[in-house]
Amino acid sequence: MARVLVPVAVLDGGTVSPGLMSLLGTVDVTVLGYHELPEQTPPDQARLQYEERATDALEDLREEFETAGGAAEHRLVFTRDREQTIARIAEETDADAFAISGMTGDVDRLLVSLSDGVATERVLSFVAALIGGREIGVTLFLAGDESGQRRLEDAAERLRGDGIDVRTEFVPDDPAFEALMDVLPGHDAVVVGENAPSLRSLVFGSESERLASASVGPVLVVRGGESSSE
Amino acid sequence: MSDRPGGTNAGGEAPDAEPVVETDEATLTADAELERTLGLAGGLAIGIGTMIGAGIFVFPGLAGGRVGTAATVSFTIGGVVALLVALPTSELATAMPKSGGGYYFVSRGLGTLPGTVIGLSLWFGLVFATAFYLVGLGFYALDALAEVGVTVAASPGALVSAIAVLAGIGFTLLNLTGTENAAKLQNGIVALLLSMLVAFLGFGLLEAFGVVDAGTPPGEAANVWEVVPIMSVAALVFTSYLGFAQVATVAGEMKSPGRNLPLAMIGSVLIVTVLYVLTIFVATDVFTQNRLLEAGETAMVEVGRQLLGPPGALVIVVGGLLATMSSANASILSTSRAIYGVSRDALLPGWASRINLRYGTPHVALGMAGGPIVVLAATRQVQLLAEVASFLHLIMYGLMCVALLAIRRDRPEWYDPDFVVPGGPVVPVFGALASFGLIAFMQPTSIAVGAAVIVATAGWYFYYARDITLRGAL
Repeated sequence: MARVLVPVAVLDGGTVSPGLMSLLGTVDVTVLGYHELPEQTPPDQARLQYEERATDALEDLREEFETAGGAAEHRLVFTRDREQTIARIAEETDADAFAISGMTGDVDRLLVSLSDGVATERVLSFVAALIGGREIGVTLFLAGDESGQRRLEDAAERLRGDGIDVRTEFVPDDPAFEALMDVLPGHDAVVVGENAPSLRSLVFGSESERLASASVGPVLVVRGGESSSE
Repeated sequence: MSDRPGGTNAGGEAPDAEPVVETDEATLTADAELERTLGLAGGLAIGIGTMIGAGIFVFPGLAGGRVGTAATVSFTIGGVVALLVALPTSELATAMPKSGGGYYFVSRGLGTLPGTVIGLSLWFGLVFATAFYLVGLGFYALDALAEVGVTVAASPGALVSAIAVLAGIGFTLLNLTGTENAAKLQNGIVALLLSMLVAFLGFGLLEAFGVVDAGTPPGEAANVWEVVPIMSVAALVFTSYLGFAQVATVAGEMKSPGRNLPLAMIGSVLIVTVLYVLTIFVATDVFTQNRLLEAGETAMVEVGRQLLGPPGALVIVVGGLLATMSSANASILSTSRAIYGVSRDALLPGWASRINLRYGTPHVALGMAGGPIVVLAATRQVQLLAEVASFLHLIMYGLMCVALLAIRRDRPEWYDPDFVVPGGPVVPVFGALASFGLIAFMQPTSIAVGAAVIVATAGWYFYYARDITLRGAL
């Protein structure tokens, strides 16, 4: 079964929106409670003081995820580097994707970006597993040159074969990030590949960058795949 | 001897004894993980950043003024002693990659009394060291004012104190409230300093060997090639080698500690030793002993001016400000870590390591660091502050070497260092002898102040922490 890592800033009021919870009902979930520390504070010192509160909050989240469907577990990490922690835990739990939480209601349509050299096959099989036969539509999006259009059509065929309602959006040679924002309205969550530098600010940007794109709703980042040839 | 710390302090608190598993990437406790986020570059930056301020920018005038070019030998001796201690420290740190550094090793290797003495002396040692860096900063700020044309005729000394005190308060507040990532800034400052120094020293060396001529006066520093003065200068300048052990205080946050800790500690000692020796060589080549003595703490500014004109002076002033600031800031951080280390083991009350809810910073520990630092900085006693800091550190260094010998003999089940000092007991034995031996060459006042601190910390043990057992625990 596919596994999704859900990082939550557990002591800074981080939550998971109900829409994301039910979207992830078809997969196993690892809730990663993290707390980012200033360099003045030894991680162990923070653990002594906050562990109990954080574990309580994580336990609640885990139960909610189980209620929503899949099996769920939780990890708690004190760190100075959110990105490094997400990468490590994703690797250790062998997660197929991790989710950047964002507000959303019920998810009716996913926007799936195949821009940049993402591993198309991995993204597609993850999307198929995630939808898992539910009534959720997919818009495949690709910004790039002509060769990309062909890849987009192949991908659409592949998903239609799983009985999914698929639309495609091809944008020639546009900055991928802006183009993605343009087609965003009407979608409840975004799926991107890990190896997508132009969308990086969406995932690992500073707090303000992420806040500015909060209207995006949840973002699911599919891991792995160093090249598009996979 | 048990695997876990035991007992309670006078306030009824027990040491935090959660069993942990250490991996290259994180420390795993029963319910939580602590990410290791510092790489080798970060570790080197802590070590070099803490050390470089004093040895390059404050001591050349004082040391060269006393013994001339022979001060290169003093700095070399300091470097050798530091290396003799850095090697055993590396072995201990790879076996116990925990925050707390020297305190942790001594308390586990030798027991609670030496542990308490070292833990609390480390706190005070760092306080003295930080105050020393701040006074250095004050002198450089005064010179910076002079460079831009502001001369203070009335009482320059008082101004130095005022700047040192304000900077001390400033850094403490910054660390209390700041959530900005100063570590990246620190790395940048260290990189900038190193490149400035390499360029400056390169030119200075060319000049010294007559390849280029900057018109320096022919009279070189008169040299005092005698053992006692050279050793006493070595004892004074040893403060420039205190930083490598600060790397061990963040051992718990270092990625792949088995590899990065020894590299960061030994590497930073080697790098600064070479830089110090070259700096003092250039300084004593440019100026005579008397000129160096006259210029005092900021003699390097005059050396820079002599070699490269006003731009040279400016480079050194800016470098001196950056270096002393980075030393002071790094030491304040280490101080609060040292306090946390002893408080976790219930040698200080638990509230000392409380974290401020608003900023997520250890406000009590930072206050316990910043308060005494500010008071000491106001005294402006460069030599006394430096020597007491060295004294307290040297006691710890010596005991760390002894702790290594003890822990190798006891061989607790968990003792499995990734890095083993070659040569059996030779290095730690010499490290201990050298550390304690260097103390003998300090000024009597410094020894008295240092000894008073040691006695006071031992008194605290008997009053507060007598029932706690730490020896052999992990």
